[in-house]
Amino acid sequence: MASSVATKSSSSTSNWHRRHDLPWLVAFVIPAFLIVVAVQFYPLAYSAYLSVQDWVLTESQTPKGFVGLQNFAAELADDTFRRSVRNSVYITGGALALQMTLGICLAYLTMGSSWRMRAIRTLLILPMVIAPVAAGTLWRILLNSRAGLVNHLLSLIGVKGPEWLASPDWAIVSVVLLDTWQWTPFVLLVVSAAIASVPSDLLEVAAIDGASRWKTFLYVELPLLMPLLLLTLVFRMLESLLSLDSIYSLTFGGPGYSTYTLTYYIYTLGLRSFNFGAAAASSWLFMIFASVSIGVVFWFQRREW
Amino acid sequence: MKKALLLVLIVILLLPAGALAQDMPHAGAEVVTNFMQSGTYDIGAEQLEPGFEEATGIELEIVASPFVVLVQNNITDLSTGTGEFDVISGDFWIGSVWNHMQPLDDLIERDMWGGSFIEGLMKQGPSAFFDGKRIGIPYSADAYGLIYRTDIFEEAGISADWETWDEFFEALDALEMHLEGSDIAPNVFAFGAYEQTPAIFLGMYDGYLVDAEGNYALDHDKAVAALNQMKSLLDYNPEGATSLSIDEANSVFLTGKAATMICWVSFVRAAAQDPDASLVVDNWATAPFPGPGFPFLSAWNLFISGFSENPDAAWEWIKYYITEEEAKRRFVELGVGSPFLSTYEDAELIEKYSHDFPNMVANLNRAESVPWIFAAFEIFFRHMGEFVIGAVDVETMLENTLADWSELEVPEGLLQSAAAQGQMQEG
Repeated sequence: MASSVATKSSSSTSNWHRRHDLPWLVAFVIPAFLIVVAVQFYPLAYSAYLSVQDWVLTESQTPKGFVGLQNFAAELADDTFRRSVRNSVYITGGALALQMTLGICLAYLTMGSSWRMRAIRTLLILPMVIAPVAAGTLWRILLNSRAGLVNHLLSLIGVKGPEWLASPDWAIVSVVLLDTWQWTPFVLLVVSAAIASVPSDLLEVAAIDGASRWKTFLYVELPLLMPLLLLTLVFRMLESLLSLDSIYSLTFGGPGYSTYTLTYYIYTLGLRSFNFGAAAASSWLFMIFASVSIGVVFWFQRREW
Repeated sequence: MKKALLLVLIVILLLPAGALAQDMPHAGAEVVTNFMQSGTYDIGAEQLEPGFEEATGIELEIVASPFVVLVQNNITDLSTGTGEFDVISGDFWIGSVWNHMQPLDDLIERDMWGGSFIEGLMKQGPSAFFDGKRIGIPYSADAYGLIYRTDIFEEAGISADWETWDEFFEALDALEMHLEGSDIAPNVFAFGAYEQTPAIFLGMYDGYLVDAEGNYALDHDKAVAALNQMKSLLDYNPEGATSLSIDEANSVFLTGKAATMICWVSFVRAAAQDPDASLVVDNWATAPFPGPGFPFLSAWNLFISGFSENPDAAWEWIKYYITEEEAKRRFVELGVGSPFLSTYEDAELIEKYSHDFPNMVANLNRAESVPWIFAAFEIFFRHMGEFVIGAVDVETMLENTLADWSELEVPEGLLQSAAAQGQMQEG
């Protein structure tokens, strides 16, 4: 009985608090909610609306009308769109593979808190703070096939350097190299921090059990690092897919359409051709593509490692 | 009596203000003008701003933006009717919004305004017209050109008097023989700057750019011939020419490693005569740009937006900016090509630029603009880039270009421009 009374009393107090706090909650939550709606949902909803409209700004001040999924169908059938997707996959896939591998290796190589290691890590993260446009321009000079440093260094060891920016394949490699050079430090930083947080007793147990350094890494450290590595992968994948400025200054999307990425394609469609309907449809296709890729990564993350 | 005296005094005091109002009918008006942020046109405007404001009482705001941003700003401003800019800087790139520009004929006639403009530049095409009325006035002029090494030509006994590309190629063959064993290439062009390649094509092609139905198109046979001829130019270029940017190609010529160069002459004129930057000082000249096509023209026009609230004040700025004196000053100080003949007939300048002026004026007189909106231009130069690097053959390149062009609409202003310049298929 006493318990029941106490429960009732507690429940009514809780209700009173809820009623009392509700206006305050609303007062604080509503502005934040409205801001989120304004800056996130409204643009998304508007771009969804545009994606089913026929609207080229230079032909009409307002959308000409509903066209259903025609914009999507047209984009999926467009050779340039398909090529842009393929280029994005090549560039992002290549850059991510290199960045993750190099980032992890460098993190282990520069492990430790001595001033030398700290200095080396500081030097290694410098490319990350350079503006992508400047980095693209810098690499354009370095990769110049006639007077660039890269081909000069290759010539010193008897290798004739390729036409980095004039060959379709090497142009993709150039973009991958630039992205890797600039963003491997990000992986290095995250992995370095993650390594430092691995409990030392686990490593000691592995050592006592006679595990080699490689096996300790593979069976002890890697599973612990995996969630963070996958998160880093997601960050880098999105960043790489969205990259435009560095490609713009390095290859201008060329030669021809060789390094024309999906972001570049959408930018051109929207801000040069002013075809807002097609650009919005392409953006949604991009978002679906990116979401599926991220979904796959998160699916891996949920697995037991 | 006192009242009368007071009245006289007031009238006397107000007289200067009245005179001022007569001299400055637009005092207090605000004019926003835009330019490309190039360190030339925009700087030229900034230098004039204080004098203009003092002389007219008009408050001038200059907005300078990089090329791509300028085009975006102009098109969105005029398409949406925002009216942010009163005076707009542009050319055929913004042809899709020419219908929103104000006709200038009445203003020109009212003020009896004019000058010694190069004849070709005032025609429809180089100058912007819409529905038969002038809407733009050129304030700069640069035509794609061909420069050559006078010393090498003299040694080889070759004269730079070609009229056609076939004749130019004969000269290149002769140069190749003469330069055999040296590290000097007969020609250099920035093939790596893909957006520049259409300029050579346009010089070699004499077919239509718009078909009889008003769509972007090319005369197939003439286009194939021009494209193949353009690609054969690579044989006379230094190794790795397909990756040369404009600056790199200019550097090849300035360091004496090429006997001829196809380029925007204004990009290289000053450097070529600067002993610190050039090994070819006084050893180069501008040649005639070969036909049967035309030299690609860059002539920036000033327009008055149809949405301007101060069109008369905007016109005052245009008159102030586009004068023979200012054009000469901008040419001398900033390297901006002048649209006025008087600049090229100036005794002092002729002496300094005798190697450059005669053929430059001739090229400007023949130069034409194109009816391509940015999307059409981009489609063309990207597919051309694929062809130049050998990724596709000429037929595939043309097929892809026409397929992509078929999704675009030629704006009315550019259709009229194409028709006026003889770039439309006869139907």
